[in-house]
Amino acid sequence: MANRTSNDVKNIHGTNPQFLLEKIIRTRIYDSLYWKESCFALTAETLIDKAVALPCIGGQYGNQKPTEFLCLALKMLQLQPEKDILRLYIQNEDYKYLRALGAFYLRLTGSSVEIYQYLEPLLLDYRKLRRRNISGEFELTYMDEFVDELLRSDRVCDTILPRITKRHILEESGELEPRVSPLEEDLEEEEILDGQSSSGDDNVKEEN
Amino acid sequence: AAAEVTTAAPDVDDTDNVNEEEEYAAWKLRELHRIKRDRSEAEEREAAKDDIERRRTMTDAEIMAEKAKDGTLSKGSRDHNGEKPKHR
Repeated sequence: MANRTSNDVKNIHGTNPQFLLEKIIRTRIYDSLYWKESCFALTAETLIDKAVALPCIGGQYGNQKPTEFLCLALKMLQLQPEKDILRLYIQNEDYKYLRALGAFYLRLTGSSVEIYQYLEPLLLDYRKLRRRNISGEFELTYMDEFVDELLRSDRVCDTILPRITKRHILEESGELEPRVSPLEEDLEEEEILDGQSSSGDDNVKEEN
Repeated sequence: AAAEVTTAAPDVDDTDNVNEEEEYAAWKLRELHRIKRDRSEAEEREAAKDDIERRRTMTDAEIMAEKAKDGTLSKGSRDHNGEKPKHR
């Protein structure tokens, strides 16, 4: 099927899913060695092996070459794996680059509610990720940082992300429950403790 | 040069659980920053909403007076120098 979108995919955000990556980047991917050698004839299942073996995340590097990460993202846009499979990509605990790829793909194709629902739990995943920057060097980042970026930035990995409804708007319309971080409890306890200790100081002063 | 870039081996170590406590502590810090950021954004939104509510109950004259005080009164209105704005 080479560079065509598979015939049974549904349009996403009203367009051919492959168009979610800009034309110039798509062309560079079609021209890249990794695409020609490794992405030909992949399926939703065989793609997993490639995603597991990814060395890094990232957009373009060096001479505007697309990373393997972007190549596989485009492949996923062609194949449009089923929601259940995508969920497995994201919820698997063992392979962080597979998870990162799934998260990126969901951010490109999912509805706002879905995105918050499935990506926010990943904010608790503090594993390290390699990111290849524009000059081709590798940097260290973390899953939670990457996901936070996906939720808040307009542009990640040299890709313009589709608009996402702000979280507070979805909360106001009742589509989403407020997010409670596990740390929030700690924070409140600390605040209470602070309050108590300061009132304790007052008592001491009064006694004096 | 491009070929060199492609073949460069990843020189950043992404092995996890080397020092789990430290990694957890670093995450905790990041998460706390996010919570703080989200809270201050929510506060800003609330403040903006309250401000809009407050202004709704004010008369035009009061709003003008407040703007003049803040120095945010827009220039170029007719009563300043008697001229109409050039572009309509």
